[in-house]
Amino acid sequence: MSEQYEPNIVAFLCNWCSYAGADLAGTSRVHYTSNLNVIRVMCSGRVNPLFAVNALQQGADGVLVSGCHPGDCHYMEGNYYARRRFALMRELLEFIGVEPERFNMSWVSASEGAKWKDVVEEVVEKARKVGPFDQFRRNKINW
Amino acid sequence: MVDLEKLRNAAKEIVSQDDVKYLIGWRDGTFGFRISPHFMESPEEADKLIFSPLCTNNLATYLTMAEKLPIPRGEEPDRRKVAVMVKGCDSRAVVQQLVEQGTNREEVYIIGCPCEGVVDIKKIEKKFPDVLESVEARWENGQIVLKLPGGEQSFPREEVLAQKCLTCRYPNPVLADTVLWDEVEVLGVEEYEDVKELEGMDSKERWAYWQDKISNCIRCYSCRNVCPMCYCEDCVLERLNPTWMFRSVNVAENTAYQLARAFHLAGRCIECGECERVCPVDIPLMKLNRKLYKEVQEDFQFEPGLDPESKPLQASYRPDDKEDFIL
Repeated sequence: MSEQYEPNIVAFLCNWCSYAGADLAGTSRVHYTSNLNVIRVMCSGRVNPLFAVNALQQGADGVLVSGCHPGDCHYMEGNYYARRRFALMRELLEFIGVEPERFNMSWVSASEGAKWKDVVEEVVEKARKVGPFDQFRRNKINW
Repeated sequence: MVDLEKLRNAAKEIVSQDDVKYLIGWRDGTFGFRISPHFMESPEEADKLIFSPLCTNNLATYLTMAEKLPIPRGEEPDRRKVAVMVKGCDSRAVVQQLVEQGTNREEVYIIGCPCEGVVDIKKIEKKFPDVLESVEARWENGQIVLKLPGGEQSFPREEVLAQKCLTCRYPNPVLADTVLWDEVEVLGVEEYEDVKELEGMDSKERWAYWQDKISNCIRCYSCRNVCPMCYCEDCVLERLNPTWMFRSVNVAENTAYQLARAFHLAGRCIECGECERVCPVDIPLMKLNRKLYKEVQEDFQFEPGLDPESKPLQASYRPDDKEDFIL
């Protein structure tokens, strides 16, 4: 394969911190990889861990969930719930044989444009290392 | 010691109370080692009740299964109690339902049956594949005695008991309105050997293992239906809009289903082992559940189904939860 493999990452960003942080990275003209497909949600607590499973099924090679730092949640406690859920989902995915590198979570605040760049590059690098996801990809249905 | 006379008398007394709708217990099944649930509405039916090492069924499932018909205008809902006979593990299922408000404490009467462990039907049916008439069984001096057509035979615990009973730390009901006989000694120690063995493999081997098992899944949903904790009226498996789960039977969709099922039981599974018992294709579902049980215990110092006053794991948090995985 002459072409380099480019991982496809789905990122769920919370509206109040991480999305604004990514926006800040954009407005400050920070250059970073474009392997990310961003989905904006109102809170990281909104992200059902099954979203991650669904994303992996439907073509993602990695998932990133990003929210406000603990204590900074716009809804007071949404990211605490998200943290518990994703800790468990991560263990479960790892146990079933999905590389833990595919499943990431981060705290990025609205003022951390530079951190956002680092997070994205780390996630993409990790996903690139483990290669394309092919374990439980949904079969294409040709009607 | 199991005392059937006492059990039947207690059942008669409880079911004749005005505020008890019916009683759920166990009775002999129609063939082999099978046991049926016994729904008892009058004291006359008490003679069929039994309690033996064959009573594997978790009757807490039926508490949430009862059909809830719409109440005609001007009538009061029937708030009489449902009496249910529980082993140690079943009582934890009831407690967890109470925690989640799936069952109302005022509407359930818990009859505790301390239990020395139930058999693994799959293990015995492998030993005696052709037994058709109904078999009786009892505990005796730490052994299991089966009354087979050819005469009585006794087996040591390790040989016939279900895996969950060998590692059971809660053989006595944790919550009961009456306990029928003396509490039994706790013999089980949980060491998660099978889970640790899988954890020791690398992710490719683990996936190969699970792919092999999960590809057998026929999506009969028995594991969900029998689970005392799976009682959502609107289940992700049946939702069509949005479609969370495809119904196709292939490795990809089966894996997503098994992940969803296991994840929805994280911090809720009380290890009654019913899912694995009813699985027609022998998927080791309890390994998934036990893995999460272990993680919940290690990471959050939480065990489900012990304290009716506790909060559900995923509906609560502590500011200092572990976050070593966060970038």
